[in-house]
Amino acid sequence: MSYSPLVVAAALLAGGTAAAAPYAIDPTHTFVSFDASLFDLSTARGRFDRKEGSLDFDPAARSGRAEIEIDTTSLNTGVAALDRLLQALLDTEHHPSARFVGERFSFNGDKLAEVAGTLTLRGRSQPLVLKATRFDCYLNPLLLRRVCGGDFEATLVRSEWGLAGGTEVGLAETLRLMVQVEAIKP
Amino acid sequence: MKRLLPLPLPLLLLMLFTAGARAEPASYVLDPERSFVHWEVLHFGTSTVRGRFGPVAGEVSLDRSAGRGAVSLRMVTTNIDTGVRPFNSRLREADLLASSEFPEAYFVATRFRFEGGKLAEVRGEFTLRGVSQPLSLNARRFGCRTETERDGGREICGGDFEASFDRSDFGMTFGLPWIANRVRLLIQVEGRRS
Repeated sequence: MSYSPLVVAAALLAGGTAAAAPYAIDPTHTFVSFDASLFDLSTARGRFDRKEGSLDFDPAARSGRAEIEIDTTSLNTGVAALDRLLQALLDTEHHPSARFVGERFSFNGDKLAEVAGTLTLRGRSQPLVLKATRFDCYLNPLLLRRVCGGDFEATLVRSEWGLAGGTEVGLAETLRLMVQVEAIKP
Repeated sequence: MKRLLPLPLPLLLLMLFTAGARAEPASYVLDPERSFVHWEVLHFGTSTVRGRFGPVAGEVSLDRSAGRGAVSLRMVTTNIDTGVRPFNSRLREADLLASSEFPEAYFVATRFRFEGGKLAEVRGEFTLRGVSQPLSLNARRFGCRTETERDGGREICGGDFEASFDRSDFGMTFGLPWIANRVRLLIQVEGRRS
């Protein structure tokens, strides 16, 4: 990729003034993935391919707001039969989107420790805590923009969202969620 | 140039198991719906990029009582899938997976280590991009179950394994150090008894 000096200058100027604007989630570096244990034998992995969202993060004030919306019909394990089964479980026909809104950012020293919020899945909203494995902000040398990003994990207890079924594949009651996020300053 | 396996697996298995006494190894064929290799690479030290290869094809031979086994896995590198199409294409290029020249990656192993009757580690050789390097798969869990009569009633063995390697050892240095050298593999395998 190449950027003209004018575009770069405009981006840097904008970056200097637009402190209040939220960072836009970079969909190529933002994924919600999951681990699903089958028959207590092996772990199937999948992800949602379509998503959008935004991130407000103020390290000085130790506050933030993260919002991510997932197209549940874009669930992708690489196995068509398993995709169908999991989409039926999520009732993607009637609930084609899921949303996480995180509003409580807690810190351990200077490090972001977790983001607590609400996950709406299959039409039901329940609290969910994303634990930060890592989180940092940096100036991306290719984009010449400030990028904040990290890795988060959560445990999703299926019954809390009414996600019954999956006995034919021995689907475990809890799923592990892994969230990769990168958001670019406008 | 496509690198071939050092020996065909049946010959490998024959050599391995005729060397022992009257061991009765069981043979399994990998289930394409339950056999995938996922990988993770750290991006700008900040977030983890994930992708997968699969389904993985292969055969496993296992003699649990003798604590021995042999495995042969094959992955088609052209079907790498990260969920981002331009990224998939970029990964297939000559300086990374070189998929047109090396459309397959292999893992072949005959050294199974058991600890207290449980499979702990499988040590073998990984061939990627035409380069072969030793690779050790650590078993996070491994077990067997019997499928329902309706599905055939056969024994299924499988589990989760982890491994990691430096991509530079296979000649893939693009993007260093922003895109990490260390690649973590998360391997799901299930084999149905032949």
